Amino acid sequence: MTHPGSTSSTGADFLVLHALRCVGFTGLARVAAATGLSEPDVESELIDLAVAGHVSHTAGDFGGWGLTEAGRAADARRVADELDSAGTRASVVDAFERFLVLNPELLDLCTAWQLRPVDGMLTANDHTSPGYDARVLDRFVDFDRRAEVVCADLSRALPRFGRYRVRLANALARARAGELDYLTDSMESYHIVWFQLHEDLLATLDIPR
Amino acid sequence: MSWIRPLSPEVEEPVDVLGGKAYGLAVLQRLGLPVPAGFVIGTEACRAFLRQGRLPDGLDDELAAAVAQLEDATCRKLGGSPRPLAVSVRSGARESMPGMMTTVLNLGLGTTATSALAAETGDIRFALESRLEFVSSFAAATTDLDAQTIEAVVRQATGTEVADARTRLSVAIRAVEDAFAQRTGRPVPDDATEQLGMALAAVFSSWDTPRAKTYRELHAIPADLGTAVIVQAMVFGNRDDHSGSGVAFTRNPDTGEPTPFGEVLFRRQGDDVVSGRSSTRPLSKLADREPDVWASLLDAFDRVEKYHRDACYLEFTFEAGQLWLLQVRPGRFVGTAAVRLATDLVDEGVIARQEALLRVSPLHLQRVHTRRLAVDGADLLTRGLGACPGVAIGRVATTSDRAARMAADGPVILVRPETSPLDMHGIAAAAGIVTARGGPASHAAVVARAMGKPAVVGAANLTVTDDLVRAGGRTIPAGTVIAVDGTSGDVVMGSPRTTTTATDPHLHRLLGWADEVSGDTSVRPEPQRLAAAHAALLGR
Repeated sequence: MTHPGSTSSTGADFLVLHALRCVGFTGLARVAAATGLSEPDVESELIDLAVAGHVSHTAGDFGGWGLTEAGRAADARRVADELDSAGTRASVVDAFERFLVLNPELLDLCTAWQLRPVDGMLTANDHTSPGYDARVLDRFVDFDRRAEVVCADLSRALPRFGRYRVRLANALARARAGELDYLTDSMESYHIVWFQLHEDLLATLDIPR
Repeated sequence: MSWIRPLSPEVEEPVDVLGGKAYGLAVLQRLGLPVPAGFVIGTEACRAFLRQGRLPDGLDDELAAAVAQLEDATCRKLGGSPRPLAVSVRSGARESMPGMMTTVLNLGLGTTATSALAAETGDIRFALESRLEFVSSFAAATTDLDAQTIEAVVRQATGTEVADARTRLSVAIRAVEDAFAQRTGRPVPDDATEQLGMALAAVFSSWDTPRAKTYRELHAIPADLGTAVIVQAMVFGNRDDHSGSGVAFTRNPDTGEPTPFGEVLFRRQGDDVVSGRSSTRPLSKLADREPDVWASLLDAFDRVEKYHRDACYLEFTFEAGQLWLLQVRPGRFVGTAAVRLATDLVDEGVIARQEALLRVSPLHLQRVHTRRLAVDGADLLTRGLGACPGVAIGRVATTSDRAARMAADGPVILVRPETSPLDMHGIAAAAGIVTARGGPASHAAVVARAMGKPAVVGAANLTVTDDLVRAGGRTIPAGTVIAVDGTSGDVVMGSPRTTTTATDPHLHRLLGWADEVSGDTSVRPEPQRLAAAHAALLGR
């Protein structure tokens, strides 16, 4: 199974383990979306990881897969090894700093998509003003052009980051095609993917939140 | 002078030139209220800077003359000794763009001036603290380092030090200076004139950051206005135990009640209040601790309300027991608060009924029916920013894993220091969200709104450890029932009474006036009743 943004050196088991680290407690579908692997492949990896004691499954309405303490530690080791062998820490740090400059703007945009000023009062954006929505969407597109540069640098430093570019572009394309929940609301929305990227950068550089 | 105007009651230029902040300061001066001496560099200079990529010709000379005047007025010397002058350099565009633009505080505090300030006040800690604020805000303004990164630099440098305050401050200053030098290949300039030129250029440039552009685009603010820059003699909220800073509304902006509302930080500079970096105290604490400052502030409230014929927002600092006002603007109340304010102002004889009707937007009446906590008798645990309206009542869960588990047995309130993507399942399972950190655009706020969950972010003095939540001097265990009001930002103990404002007597009165004006007493939705009155009043 090949998937954008992965390389043969990044094993599927690590991709799945690390996806849980960045996505948090979740189900197969979201791990598949995060890794680009198929759901059966994800499940197979998760079962192996569970045998190794790195992940566990919880049943119930809010159930799913999550890392164990051992899994979190294993992920931290593999992330550190990966960064060491790539020898690209400086580039990742540089990209992270540029990410932090973009981050507040993305949050402004998400807020603007959710809340629309009406006679000076912010109210839930009911998407009844096409002009307003178009303005916000335009700014997302403009933002994405700048985000793309940072993502490209990250992918060069560590190829597994390439998956974020694919997911962000997909979210934006779907929003532009009229699926309004792909900016801030759906589980594969621009905002959620961006935040997983944030979590991933913190995990990769071992910076506490 | 052509680029620069003194900050004075006589200044005649319009708000387009002076910017909203300086215009408001001139109003305060006209009302006889205390405003630190200073001058304004008009928006024309910003536009020229953005066109040419450098400070316009002639500005240097005008700046030198304006600084000399300020030095005369204050009997101090910018960056000098033995009586050093420090100034604030603040942006102020015609339309306010909160949090978008740059501010530099304590400019002029080079090494000599810092020593002089220590000698003059006999307080080296105060002088070093002020110098640290200068180098931090200067680095944030003139390099690509942001405030968070600079705070991290300071934390890292001082984290393991157990030394006295003076050593810690010196270490922190050096760390920020080093970070600046690393970025720019040069030290933080010690010369005050050079500092001022760089700060000016930085404030002008901040008009065109991508984030500011986005903000203007979204709020339909013209892109070519430019910002004015206000340079004022510094007043030090961190000077001594009788100093501090705060922000205030003359009335409660959530409910419209005629009770002053705001936050104060003792022994701190104003930027700390606005940035939300520090835990503030309720404004009422000022009445107990500094009765004279409080009395002056109440007097100011009275005068600015009379002038604006409206509730107002103010920023202030007090230094050694003396109050100074740094900003004023109308309060811009909306929803329930606008209704209460409008009817109260009629009762106070400030505005007529017709004007009261016009001050409330029919569209705002939709918000009036959001569920709210009844204010009376609620046992307040903490207060933050309401990030998603509505009321949620449930048991406290301190991690997302626990929230997901506990949700099977009834509603849960997720209480976290802040949220990350790792909390998605907890937020999904919870009925309401409370975070200690973050503002209206934080992750928690964005996600809570996406899911329509009542949320309070940036709750004051809230800490979460293991299974315990500490706030307002109390410690409560996970599982305790609390209630969250995502409009007012209140977090209260137990399951208090809630209201929707259907029973609001003020709304009832206002709509009665509306029907009189429109002559239509048929039964229809409230926004329509008010809209009909607007139409009649405006002759449409």
